[in-house]
Amino acid sequence: MALAARCRQGAPGAFEELYRTHAPRLFGLACRMVGRAEAEDLLQEIFLTAHRKLDQYKGDASLGTWLFRLGANQCIDFLRSRGARLAQLTESFDETIEPDGRSPSPIVAIDRLDLDRALATLPPGSRAIFVLHDVEGFEHREIASLLGIADGTSKSQLHKARMKLRKALASRN
Amino acid sequence: MTCADIRDELSEFVDGTLPADRAAAIEAHVTACGSCTGVVQDLERIRGAARRLGPIDPPGHLWLEIAGRMQLEGAPRQPDRTTPASRRHPIWQWAGLAAALVLVTVGVYIAQRVSAPRQAPASAVAVGGNAAAPPTVETFQEELQQAEMHYEKAIAALEAITKSSDGTMDPAVAATVQKNLATIDRAIADSRAALNANPDSEAARDSLFEAFRRKVGVLQATVALMNEMRKGDQSGAARIAAGLGRKS
Repeated sequence: MALAARCRQGAPGAFEELYRTHAPRLFGLACRMVGRAEAEDLLQEIFLTAHRKLDQYKGDASLGTWLFRLGANQCIDFLRSRGARLAQLTESFDETIEPDGRSPSPIVAIDRLDLDRALATLPPGSRAIFVLHDVEGFEHREIASLLGIADGTSKSQLHKARMKLRKALASRN
Repeated sequence: MTCADIRDELSEFVDGTLPADRAAAIEAHVTACGSCTGVVQDLERIRGAARRLGPIDPPGHLWLEIAGRMQLEGAPRQPDRTTPASRRHPIWQWAGLAAALVLVTVGVYIAQRVSAPRQAPASAVAVGGNAAAPPTVETFQEELQQAEMHYEKAIAALEAITKSSDGTMDPAVAATVQKNLATIDRAIADSRAALNANPDSEAARDSLFEAFRRKVGVLQATVALMNEMRKGDQSGAARIAAGLGRKS
């Protein structure tokens, strides 16, 4: 029997199976979107919300995709509740490209830990866009829909996020 | 075409989402420009590293907390059939869930107290007409003590269960559990000391309740481990034991 049906019926171990299968990816999303300190509580809320809303799952996407989208929405709602202005990113783009002939690429290698640390320094809005696009593989159209912004804003903020990360990672090397 | 003309489009260039003619023009510039080549290479490395950022395993106790709260909320829609009367649960599984109930109750209680504005009680006149200490601090202290009592009650119940393991737990895992608990007990003692020194300290209060929460989590995981071992579920037991090893 499909896992969704078994979860709805309260079959022993079904919801735990759902949790064991999808929690690591969702926890990674939560840690990178909202920070480790809040991610545990947020992960609980994601699965409890899934438990409550399981009857709304219609099977038009895989259960994992449905659950992940629910989780992404919860992360974004959490950021909004903390006053993060996801659609109003006012930092000026101060990264400049050096004239031709100057220094070579500053980044030699990117350690996973270094990237996670650098990610934590990004403002919440551009961090959310970077995580959704580059880490989780969402398209700009989907990100724009989730965040209530234009496609173009998603693209430009992704670029800013990458350039800020470049600066942060270069200073570590 | 200068570097400034194309810098805002370099991410789209790297992602291959530009129209073909624009991509070709940028490609021509990048090929001839050492700095832009460096930027493009860095963006490619960052994007590649991001793709390799994998999942992160959550702490082992989280499932138990979720399961406990789900138990409180009730099962999802059930099919129309009666529950088998022959289902039995060892008493200590229910004690573990009862402790989870206490935990959730205390958590909600604390959340409500923390978020509600402090208000003086209706009557705050001390006996004998002497000026009372600030009523909001005293009232909050009493409520804090009650919340502590709830946590300690849950912890005592779970500890009683874990002590009745009849040697079913692997000694190495038992040692890990004791080590985790010792670390958390030190955190509880430190937080209590800080709160005694500064009763108004939100940080000390938050730290104390976080330590209580962690202790309940470790004990709940221990009960679950005992359960799995009694059922003979080696893989389940190994999974929970691994989670205990990461928790303190």
